[in-house]
Amino acid sequence: MSTAPTKTMHDDTLISVRGAKKYFPVTEGWFNRQVATIKAVDDITFDIKKGETFGLVGESGSGKSSIARLILRAYDLTGGEILFRRASGEVIDITTLGDREMRDLRREMQMIFQDPYSSLNPRMTLLDLVGEPMVIHGVGSAGEIRDRVAELLGLVGLRPEYVTRYPHAFSGGQRQRIGIARALALNPSFIAADEAVSALDVSVAAQNINLMQDLQEKLGLTYLFITHDLGMVEHISDRVGVMYLGRLMEVGPTDSLFAKPMHPYTEALLAAVPQPDPRGNRTRKRVPLKGEIADAMNIPTGCPFHPRCPYADEKCRAEVPALRALDNGRQVRCHYAETLDLVGVAAQ
Amino acid sequence: MKQQNPALIPMPPERLLELDNVGVHFPTREGLVKAVNGVSYHVNRGEVLGIVGESGSGKSVTARSIMRLQAKNALDASGTIRFRRQSGAEVLISSEDRQSRTMRQLRGGEIGMVFQEPMTALSPVHTIGTQIARTVMLHRKVSKAEARAQAIALLTRVQMPRPNDIVDRYPHHLSGGMRQRAMIALALACDPVLLIADEPTTALDVTTEAQILELLKSLQQELNMAIVFIPHNFGVVAHIADRVAVMYLGRVVETGTVDEIFYEPKHPYTQALLQSIPRLGKSHGRRLRTISGMVPDPYNVPPGCSFHPRCLKAVGGVCNVTTPEDVVFPSGQRARCHYAGDIAIAEAAQ
Repeated sequence: MSTAPTKTMHDDTLISVRGAKKYFPVTEGWFNRQVATIKAVDDITFDIKKGETFGLVGESGSGKSSIARLILRAYDLTGGEILFRRASGEVIDITTLGDREMRDLRREMQMIFQDPYSSLNPRMTLLDLVGEPMVIHGVGSAGEIRDRVAELLGLVGLRPEYVTRYPHAFSGGQRQRIGIARALALNPSFIAADEAVSALDVSVAAQNINLMQDLQEKLGLTYLFITHDLGMVEHISDRVGVMYLGRLMEVGPTDSLFAKPMHPYTEALLAAVPQPDPRGNRTRKRVPLKGEIADAMNIPTGCPFHPRCPYADEKCRAEVPALRALDNGRQVRCHYAETLDLVGVAAQ
Repeated sequence: MKQQNPALIPMPPERLLELDNVGVHFPTREGLVKAVNGVSYHVNRGEVLGIVGESGSGKSVTARSIMRLQAKNALDASGTIRFRRQSGAEVLISSEDRQSRTMRQLRGGEIGMVFQEPMTALSPVHTIGTQIARTVMLHRKVSKAEARAQAIALLTRVQMPRPNDIVDRYPHHLSGGMRQRAMIALALACDPVLLIADEPTTALDVTTEAQILELLKSLQQELNMAIVFIPHNFGVVAHIADRVAVMYLGRVVETGTVDEIFYEPKHPYTQALLQSIPRLGKSHGRRLRTISGMVPDPYNVPPGCSFHPRCLKAVGGVCNVTTPEDVVFPSGQRARCHYAGDIAIAEAAQ
């Protein structure tokens, strides 16, 4: 058992990611010679407050899923630390935990996955699926588990009689609810939802989003909500982080970040979202972002966004901007955040 | 079982494609699935028709039956599909066989196709250039060199970076956005008058999606091509479509111009769908409106109006008994709801 020095974080903070790095080696040949490094997550720092929903947005390959995996320690960090406040109030650095301690901690942090078809074992009944976390952690007798599963199913809006059924009998939206029930089985305080509604039809996605918000209120949950859907992230999140090529470009409260982005990439992302408003689309000027996200093995020098940035100059090509905290509670990784006048989505 | 209507009234001259009461059924162990159950819509020359609906509504099956590319076990249960060829002659596609000479001329020739997954739609063992050149050579009498030159020209037209280099590349060398550009180049190879695009931007990131949509829009205007566009979300359809058809459980429940559908929807299903999407700039904190229940099993379609079990405005004794007919509004907007007229009046009164 390691006795790591006690770390401190603000009282209302549940998770504090500090300078997190995750590098993957790229190997080649018989002897797996390392030929390059993919910086999937590079120097990420942000806090998640107790009871809030923190949204992470970005294009595919931006490293948003990797962050969820780092927090749950499905991956080990290459550098940095991740602090977590346990239900007991104790603050621990999860990167220092051994496997057994980590397993114990996972009662308090759970994940909801994107694909409700491949994330549920088709040969297990709902009782087995939803009760599995309790069996693994040795919580409760068979009777207690059965009662708890019925209760959980009720909580997510499925009939308790369904416990003997298999996942194939359920629609995509219902399967996602089974995944939510399973994540809730051990009363976690934190849930990472990775593209949790992306595979669902709009009306079903709306049902599940409302359910997640109800559960948050009822159980005091904290969410990390990862999605590429900016409308959804605006709807559900209290604060948002925008990722690009493994780096956080901007962090801020949802309302102000969407109304007045301070990073050119956030502006470009917002402008790219096709709006369900044909008249507005005709008048709105939409300049699509040029080019594509760079290769993660070959990240541009200076600001990683500079080759696509309409405002970039010499400084951006040469100097890597730091994530700076501004007075208004926002954090931006751009040399010119204060001087640029960027367009957001007008609140209506 | 094909219904051949001997007395088809010729299509109006501007009409390019017309579906009338099309039905596609699938016999399964659980019963007969009426995936498409009486779909009618049309596309005029140079027009973009967007088709929206949740999964299982039959939008892709309908699109595939236009190209005669349905699954082998699909039954053409009813209806007619007609297409106007470049010569001006009408073809009754619905009575053509999948492998008929006409269909092979149309597919990839006058009708181009773009699919959702460019990785599976493109051949992994042929270069981009070969795939485009073969399509060109299949439909036009050109030499190999000419076909290759055309392939490069097409790649340039879809704004592919470094077309001279990409022409000799395999699909796995390309990013998702570039593959979709290659797919579009392939679809445009023979100057189609109609493009069928089934979720062409679903697999792409928003910024790439925006690029592809701009490209499709500018090509559509430049070539005066009609598009049947099946998007995965309402934002995309609002951006590109002139008219919109809303499908639910194998039927078109509402059609209208894009403005009518977005600002004056008449069918309760369309209204509910539009209210369930989060919108940028106006949705924070607001609870999303939902549609109660879920799309019923396709082999167990509710009687009467198939939407009635989920409809807030359903009237017992009517909606659960009688299948509604289209209510046609003066503007041409149509809604398949017994109370579409009343809903319109109630809306006007507000």
